[in-house]
Amino acid sequence: MILPYLLRLVCLCLAAFFLFNFAAGLPLALASRAIVARANRMRARSAARLLFVLRVLPAALAFLVVVGLCVPSYLWLEPELAVEEIAAPWIATAVLGAALCFIATARAARSILQARRHARSCERLSRATSFAGARLPVWILDTPAPLCALVGIFRSGVLLSGAVINRLTAAQLALALRHEEAHDSSRDNLKRLLILMTPGLLPGVSGFRAMERGWGRLSEWAADDEAAGGDTHRSLTLAAALVRVARMGGTALAPLSANFLDDCGDVTARVDRLLHPTPPLIHRHNWTLIGSLAAVFAVAVSLLNPVSLAACHATIERLIH
Amino acid sequence: MKLFIDTQVLGPLELTVMEIMWAHGENNVRDVVDKLHRPLAYTTVMTTLDRLFKKGMLERRKSERAFIYSPTMTRTQWEHKRTGDFVDGFLSVAEPSRELLVSCLVEAVSRHDEALLDELERKIKQRREELSRGDRP
Repeated sequence: MILPYLLRLVCLCLAAFFLFNFAAGLPLALASRAIVARANRMRARSAARLLFVLRVLPAALAFLVVVGLCVPSYLWLEPELAVEEIAAPWIATAVLGAALCFIATARAARSILQARRHARSCERLSRATSFAGARLPVWILDTPAPLCALVGIFRSGVLLSGAVINRLTAAQLALALRHEEAHDSSRDNLKRLLILMTPGLLPGVSGFRAMERGWGRLSEWAADDEAAGGDTHRSLTLAAALVRVARMGGTALAPLSANFLDDCGDVTARVDRLLHPTPPLIHRHNWTLIGSLAAVFAVAVSLLNPVSLAACHATIERLIH
Repeated sequence: MKLFIDTQVLGPLELTVMEIMWAHGENNVRDVVDKLHRPLAYTTVMTTLDRLFKKGMLERRKSERAFIYSPTMTRTQWEHKRTGDFVDGFLSVAEPSRELLVSCLVEAVSRHDEALLDELERKIKQRREELSRGDRP
């Protein structure tokens, strides 16, 4: 097929993104159950961070390769001919890449729209209030549903239902709020959105479901640990709050939010953990983040040189013709 | 010839034997006899293994003069199939039975959940008592 210069670049970017995302993601997807099992034995916060980084890593690397290598090498070395022929398999790969990006973008956009619609209706129906010691704004919704959730991605607040306020004691409610604040401190709603925006392995095949579920569970555990702060009495109060909310029945889940009781099936594991709380970490080095940034920096430095750009261009030329 | 898989309800001895097979993989009759917690005749175990083979729960191959048995499915696969067969059987009859099945399931799950939450509350209370005993001088 004969395509003009810029269309060829788009085609090249999509195909390269698909191939690199697949190549980097396949080993992780195959090992995801083992990784989650290993993460379950780590400290909850570090484990949640690790799973999040591994989930977005293939797409981030693929994006980096496309932006840092494919685009510069193409613009620098490809002569601006009006038209050039491209092999059909390359076009097919680009279509797969486009489908992958489209599905992820559509999924994220739909969630954002649902979250905005939900936030607007809550704003209309709820009343803002402040709780002693609470860092975030709290909106109270008069509903019998057991609602306690951190909503909002950049400007967060806690959405509480009147039923939860009536059912929990003051100490339990304060810890439930601290739990949601812990989610806010670790930017869990933003991470949730980034996970939605990150493409899977193939169109319609995520390959990372176990990792995503593992991240969801571990981020809840981490918020529990931070709310309890290693204090056994606080930990038991939080456990009692979880059981009380679980007794209220199915949780009304808000879109793109961190819910106090996200998955009723996990309440047993959470309570069991809270019966024997782990002491908080004294020295908190964010090794996962430092390691990821170092890896990204190393890849970026190694990519941005004439030799690798020329090699990349030669490879692409061989592949697309 | 491989027989059809018939996951009908297993008797207590069959279930005990299957637990051994799931835990240890391949076994001959002597291995199973040795791993049983109660003394049973060699022929009783041999008959049980043969029955399980005919039910499709085990497959066997000849090694020298004895049969070596191994499970045809994991415990999880068996439980999944058993539940699936039960639900399929229920749904194959008239419409009201489906509603009955769903309502029974919901009721059973609710009862199970309540019991589970009671158990969790009991654990929390027990832990509080342990702590208060420890705090006392």
